[in-house]
Amino acid sequence: MTVALRIDGLSKTYGSGDAAVEAVKNASFTCEAGQFVAIVGPSGSGKTTLLAMIGGLLTPTSGTIEVNGRDIARLSKGEQAKFRRSSVGYVFQANNLLPFLTARENLLVIQRLSGGNRGEAEQRADRLLGELGIEKRANALATELSGGERQRVAIGRALMNDPALVLVDEPTASLDSARGRQVVTSLLDEVKARTKLGIMVTHDPEMARLADVVMEMHDGVMRQAAGQPA
Amino acid sequence: MIGLLEIRRRKVQFGLIAIVVTLIAYLVLMINGLGIGLNELAGSALRNFNADAIAYSEVADLSVIRSELGQDTVDRIQAAQGVKASAAIGYVAANVRQASGRIRSAAFLGYDPGSIAEPEVTSGRALTAADSRGLLADKSFLKATGLRVGDTASVNLRLTTEQFTIIGEIDQGAFFFQPAVYVLRDTWRELKYGPPSPGQPAASIVLLKGKGLTSLKGDGFRAVSKDVAFANIEGVAGQQSTVSALQGFGYLIGALVIGVFFYVLTLQKIGQIGVLKALGASGFYVFRQVLAQVLAISIVGVGIAVPLAWATGKALGRLPQSVPIAFDNTTFVVTSLALVVTGVVGALFSGRQVAGVDPIIALGQQQ
Repeated sequence: MTVALRIDGLSKTYGSGDAAVEAVKNASFTCEAGQFVAIVGPSGSGKTTLLAMIGGLLTPTSGTIEVNGRDIARLSKGEQAKFRRSSVGYVFQANNLLPFLTARENLLVIQRLSGGNRGEAEQRADRLLGELGIEKRANALATELSGGERQRVAIGRALMNDPALVLVDEPTASLDSARGRQVVTSLLDEVKARTKLGIMVTHDPEMARLADVVMEMHDGVMRQAAGQPA
Repeated sequence: MIGLLEIRRRKVQFGLIAIVVTLIAYLVLMINGLGIGLNELAGSALRNFNADAIAYSEVADLSVIRSELGQDTVDRIQAAQGVKASAAIGYVAANVRQASGRIRSAAFLGYDPGSIAEPEVTSGRALTAADSRGLLADKSFLKATGLRVGDTASVNLRLTTEQFTIIGEIDQGAFFFQPAVYVLRDTWRELKYGPPSPGQPAASIVLLKGKGLTSLKGDGFRAVSKDVAFANIEGVAGQQSTVSALQGFGYLIGALVIGVFFYVLTLQKIGQIGVLKALGASGFYVFRQVLAQVLAISIVGVGIAVPLAWATGKALGRLPQSVPIAFDNTTFVVTSLALVVTGVVGALFSGRQVAGVDPIIALGQQQ
């Protein structure tokens, strides 16, 4: 399999001097396309910081992040935005849908940002909503959707630009376990079906067990979880 | 556009801002209308003179009130090079007593029938040389007094009262904040200086038609353009600067209020903006959405304010004691554009805020 993500000596320090906090310490690992990776660890362990750096939302203090052979660690703000538009699908913990848009329009926001054919984007949005089982709620405003429906719309939005990376931050935090499992399974299916790389940050060991690879983070240090292949 | 879609979906929120913009635009338009109305009262009769230039006494410092021209000076002015046509005009303020006993001041302008100073009569007939006790009254005078063509009015001046017949109605405007009333020049001289006697002034000013007369100077006189003459009407300069200051404050307050409203709105939406940026939106893209919203709200607000101000002007114009307010198309267009630009300038503060939002906020919301 192709190496989709190669991280080498990645660190992130917030602040400076005595107030400096090293959120991620010298992380190195590789992931392949078609894998679904879970990162687990307690709050404040640096999981979200790591995810944000991989997604081009944060610039690392040191180290490299290669996505399909391209180092994205030193991109300018504009290049980071372009990278996020073209290569990253992000599912936020609180789903962060735009509340004044319908479920379908929240997916089509991606086409508005990236440009491209409107008709094709509408077809893709309708197909994704169908695959995620929320086509009947396509024209409901985001504020009218249930927590599970919102999270599935957020997954659809993350897949709209056919990204190489699908990054998911605590997708089940606001859902009951049955609904959470359904959401993660949907996500896993999409990643597998389209040979993408999925990385999910979670507290929930049950959800983490659904992943191909589980990594643990403690105080900014990353290691392969026990029982996982090296 | 997402920004415009947001307006459609958040009608109450944006509707409230549109109301504020409407009220500010209405206020600024009304101030501008009052400015024009006051200008009309100050000297629309002067602006309506059929003349390219106006000649004053050399020592009058361009004051119609103080200008007095003898017949020899009037002759020299009329004979000056480049003068194609001319007309001597006399001015005096006089009181008119209505049948009810109420007294109203009017600007009496003495002219010679058949000269370029003769006003167009809209009802009744023009004065002839025989109408020494006849007058042509501006429509605003008739409206304010309730008098009509054919009625008699008592004119008080110099401790005497003379009965005048209203021969015709004219639409010449006002002079020195008084409605214009035209009488024969001989009648004017009598009203102002008493029975004819040698050495009496022949006119206050002389209207001139011809090219290159706006800097004409000669023995005992000087001529200026109508614009310069208007600006030198007593009180006009102060009035203009007051109105200009009010307009300036109107625009400033408009920019601040619209700016602050959009700034607060932007602060409330920082999370959403962060999400858009996290999804790959550039700062310029998000700024364009805010700009589109400001433009749309400003255009809607001004679009409501313009007919509202126009209707208010019409309604005030129907009052017996009309408020000096007037509008023209230029005022509406210029003021509307200025208000939209003002709104955009005010909202640029929000634009800066938007451009600076860090996409990491999208994650911060959930931590």
